[in-house]
Amino acid sequence: MTTPTWGEPAGPLTSAEFRAAAQAIMANIEQVIEGKSATVRLALAVLIAEGHLLIEDVPGVGKTKLAKALARSIDCSVRRIQFTPDLLPSDVTGVSVYNQETRDFEFKPGAVFANLVVGDEINRASPKTQSALLECMEERQVTVDGTTYELQAPFMVVATQNPIEMEGTYPLPEAQRDRFTARIAMGYPDPRAELAMLSGHGDHDPLNDLRAVADAALVRRLIETARAVHAADAVQQYAIALVTATREAPEIRLGASPRSTLQLIRTAKAVAALEGRDYVLPDDLQALAVPVLAHRIIPTADAQLNRRTTDAIVSEIVHRLPLPHARNPYDTRDGRASYESRGR
Amino acid sequence: MTGRRRLGLVAAGSTLLAAAPLTVIFESWTWIAQCVLAVALIEGAAVATRTFRFPTWAQAAGMTLALLLALTWMFSSGKEIIVPTPDTFAHFADLLRQAGEDTRAFGVPVPDRDGLLFVAVLGVGAVSIVVDLLTAVFRRPALAGLPMLAIYSIPVAVYTDSVPAIPFVIGAAGFMWLLVADNVDRVRRFGRRFTGDGRDVDVWEPSPLAAAGRRIGVAGMLVAVVLPLAVPNVEGGLLTQLTQSGAGTGPGSGNGTGGRINLFASLSGQLNHTTTIPLLKVTTDEPEPFYLRFAIADVLNDNGFGNESPRGSGLGLGLPDPRRQAATQLSSYTEHHARVEITKDLQQNMAPLYSYAIGINNLNGSWAYDQNQQVLYSSRTTTRDQAYDITYLRARYSPEELRQAPRLAANDALMAYTATPGDATVETEVARLTKGKTTDYDKVRSIYNWFSKENGFKYSLATQTTGKASEIADFLTNKTGYCQQYAAAMAWMVRAAGIPARVAFGFTRGTPAGGGVFTITNRNAHAWTEVYFQGFGWVPFDATPSAGVTGSARSGSNWAPDVDRPTPTASTSTGPGAAVPDSSGDPGAANGPNKSGVGEDPAGTTGPAPETTDWTGLWIAAGIALLLALLLVPALRRVLVRRRRHAATAPVAPVVLAAEGITDLTVTAETGRAREDAHAAWDELIDSMVDFQVPVDPTETPRVTAQRLVRDLSLTGEPAEAATLLGTAEERARYARQPLQGAELTSALRRIRSGMSGSASRRTRLRATLLPPSVLLNWRAGLSEWSTRTAERLSGLRESLTRFNPRRLLTRTR
Repeated sequence: MTTPTWGEPAGPLTSAEFRAAAQAIMANIEQVIEGKSATVRLALAVLIAEGHLLIEDVPGVGKTKLAKALARSIDCSVRRIQFTPDLLPSDVTGVSVYNQETRDFEFKPGAVFANLVVGDEINRASPKTQSALLECMEERQVTVDGTTYELQAPFMVVATQNPIEMEGTYPLPEAQRDRFTARIAMGYPDPRAELAMLSGHGDHDPLNDLRAVADAALVRRLIETARAVHAADAVQQYAIALVTATREAPEIRLGASPRSTLQLIRTAKAVAALEGRDYVLPDDLQALAVPVLAHRIIPTADAQLNRRTTDAIVSEIVHRLPLPHARNPYDTRDGRASYESRGR
Repeated sequence: MTGRRRLGLVAAGSTLLAAAPLTVIFESWTWIAQCVLAVALIEGAAVATRTFRFPTWAQAAGMTLALLLALTWMFSSGKEIIVPTPDTFAHFADLLRQAGEDTRAFGVPVPDRDGLLFVAVLGVGAVSIVVDLLTAVFRRPALAGLPMLAIYSIPVAVYTDSVPAIPFVIGAAGFMWLLVADNVDRVRRFGRRFTGDGRDVDVWEPSPLAAAGRRIGVAGMLVAVVLPLAVPNVEGGLLTQLTQSGAGTGPGSGNGTGGRINLFASLSGQLNHTTTIPLLKVTTDEPEPFYLRFAIADVLNDNGFGNESPRGSGLGLGLPDPRRQAATQLSSYTEHHARVEITKDLQQNMAPLYSYAIGINNLNGSWAYDQNQQVLYSSRTTTRDQAYDITYLRARYSPEELRQAPRLAANDALMAYTATPGDATVETEVARLTKGKTTDYDKVRSIYNWFSKENGFKYSLATQTTGKASEIADFLTNKTGYCQQYAAAMAWMVRAAGIPARVAFGFTRGTPAGGGVFTITNRNAHAWTEVYFQGFGWVPFDATPSAGVTGSARSGSNWAPDVDRPTPTASTSTGPGAAVPDSSGDPGAANGPNKSGVGEDPAGTTGPAPETTDWTGLWIAAGIALLLALLLVPALRRVLVRRRRHAATAPVAPVVLAAEGITDLTVTAETGRAREDAHAAWDELIDSMVDFQVPVDPTETPRVTAQRLVRDLSLTGEPAEAATLLGTAEERARYARQPLQGAELTSALRRIRSGMSGSASRRTRLRATLLPPSVLLNWRAGLSEWSTRTAERLSGLRESLTRFNPRRLLTRTR
């Protein structure tokens, strides 16, 4: 967990304040990204859930624009890293250089020392560069030459990648993918939104007109508010059941990690707070299962041969898994119980 | 081989189970103890011989020897010491002979007679040997069913009617046990069982296939018991008993433990008895008494004559006086007294009486008198060793008087006694005989006179009959029979002529011993016809040739003189007491035979006959009502559940919505209650969805379910709001810190239910009301859960038992 680096009083917001702040940010972003309110909301939820976002889609649908709009809407430090094959880990984390005047090594912070880090085309960098992000994303700190530097709060990495083009790219390793709270796809805009985009972007880039509507302190308070959202036992059980189901599903070689359970609940809390609720619903988990879990699991070779996407597998699990405490009037429980008793 | 020894034990057990049907034959349980002992000895011999690996013949010999020893010890003649001697076999032969006599002497259930017990033990023991050999030696357990069936056939043969189902079920269960044990052993020989997942299964572990087999077995047994009830042609089933209310047979001899006997069968049994047994003694001040009677058969259908159970009131109310009753007041009467002393050999629950008894004294036990049948009966006491006094009236008739008797109106209730199964031969014969006769009496006499030697009728006790209607009709052609056929045939023909008639059972006068004492034996058992004349009541006509009947009083009556003996002198066979001067000129001089009065007046007689149909109707109505009630149970259950939930969800507090914002999770009585209410309301909604065949998805959240409900049923307005409200309430009750409080859930439930019923088809609506699927599903789930739990408990028990089983092959992982 991070601790705020500058210590102004931060308390939880009331429901109304929270909603006003969140609405302002979302409205701001939507000036740039038309017709994608669900995606925008999810991106904001990931920010409030203290997670990192992986935006994966074909070129030209506004991945980078979303990342930048989110960054612009919040008055905080923003750094952008263009991942290229020749990018080095020290470019990301920072490097110690020898200062002639002080006759000492001086740490030059890298690109991750910001509240919002936008990593563009992350899969174009070599794995060694990608792995420079591992520590900072999870532990929110950077260790260079044995010295550990804390990162600011909030800290969020928004990375984009192109899933179609494989040439010259390095797929993210499992450890890296597991650090992203959610993977979202932009999707093509519908014709109306595309028309609005044409008229809006005709003469100038609306991104330039974007003003910040929140600052880092407000985001920290948003985060604190979301943490206080109530997740009932039944909801937690359901989250565990969902994650466990991915580990037990026959089509999955590697299921979701315990970290993903935590992030699922956190994101659900943020979503619930964004909807003005102070409690998490299984509906939230159902809606978040695919973005939060799908990019972490590895399907079996058979499933891959059958062109089963991880999204499809996860959403099938969601549709198969009964809610905890839900009454099933059709289920006699006979077959299963007796089967289990015989199986021993 | 252990398998064989085990199978032998199972064979012994199942033989004993298969002997269960014998329980209905014996009065007490002595035979079971003896049979168990004998079978145990036999099986002990079998196990011993097998342990020493004796050849098959030696095993059989050993078992036979064991049976012989068991019989010797249990039915000892008193002379042998353990080992049977030639005397023993003579004693056995004696016992067998005695058993033969006893089978004729006793109706079922029989008391503990040595002969009968001997036969039972011998039979069960022999079956046990055969079953053991077939199962353990020849490995053909299915064939062992045949000797077991032999045991079962005994009660079937004895009971003409029906055998209780439970002994059959026990016997069948025994047979199935045998089959199961054999097959388990057989499967075991193939080698080890294993499951699909490659795990070894211990031989004593239950397999799913075995469970299926057991289920099939139970289902088969149920079908075997239940199916005959549905087939109308099988007699004696539950349905027949319900719908005919005991027609065909009545309470017979025995002590009322449920044994039922056919009157005709009992009659022929008495007459065919090889020995003469004194049954009762009568002392009367009447010089020439007519017959003693104790039962009536007044129902005629395809099964021949049968009787209705007598129905009447206790003796405390007094007996009707025929002199003061319109139905019988035309005859003249003389009053007499008689004392009846019954020996221990007449054990029945209908007491012999002279006709028109007006006073009965000194009779022990509770007895009731049926005025219509003129039968004194008891449901608990028997006549055994009873002695009682009768005051009775002897009626006198003359042909002239009887000719005056007016015809019964066609709609008179007594015309029920003219019902016949309809037979062309009988009809033609009656039409020929009654041609040109104007009065009822002349018609009856014409029929009566026809049963004469001149017309080729011959008395013979050798005729074996079952008393079926077709056999009665046959009697008219082959003309050979005894009182049973004569009485039944005459009654039928009189009925066919449109005059009420019935068959009476009783004893003839008996052998006079001087001083007004008559000794009556089983040879005096008799049946005769009674014909109804208005104003005279039931007038007896005995068509049986007097030569065949000991103590016949046929020649003594001037309204029905002996057709074979025109001169009214006593027949040689009737004994000295039968020599009575005929007083045909005097209308009142005849020995008044019994003449059963039918109630007080014609109006009073309308009761009994329709009552039968009333009862039948009532039974059917009750059955239908019961069925309807059973069918309505699910609906009722549904209503009750709904009411309970509505009571739970009725708002008690003013509407206070939970405070928005983040508060601590508080659990107070109010919130707890609000949660329970919301759950109850939600359960009710789910049940309603099941009832109205709206699919329920357990993976759906309450919110989504409510949305789907609104969308799929295209609910609008109030029902839609209600659905959303219920969804929200349940959602908050399950997941939020504060449940929704004070919401109008009950009215919401009502609204949504009406919304659902509005969009459902008529059939669905009807089903939701009458046979709510939610209740049925719930019951089914409960049943299967229960059966699973039971099976698990049983297998757990078995598991704990197999710990002591040295034959366990695999070590348990658990």
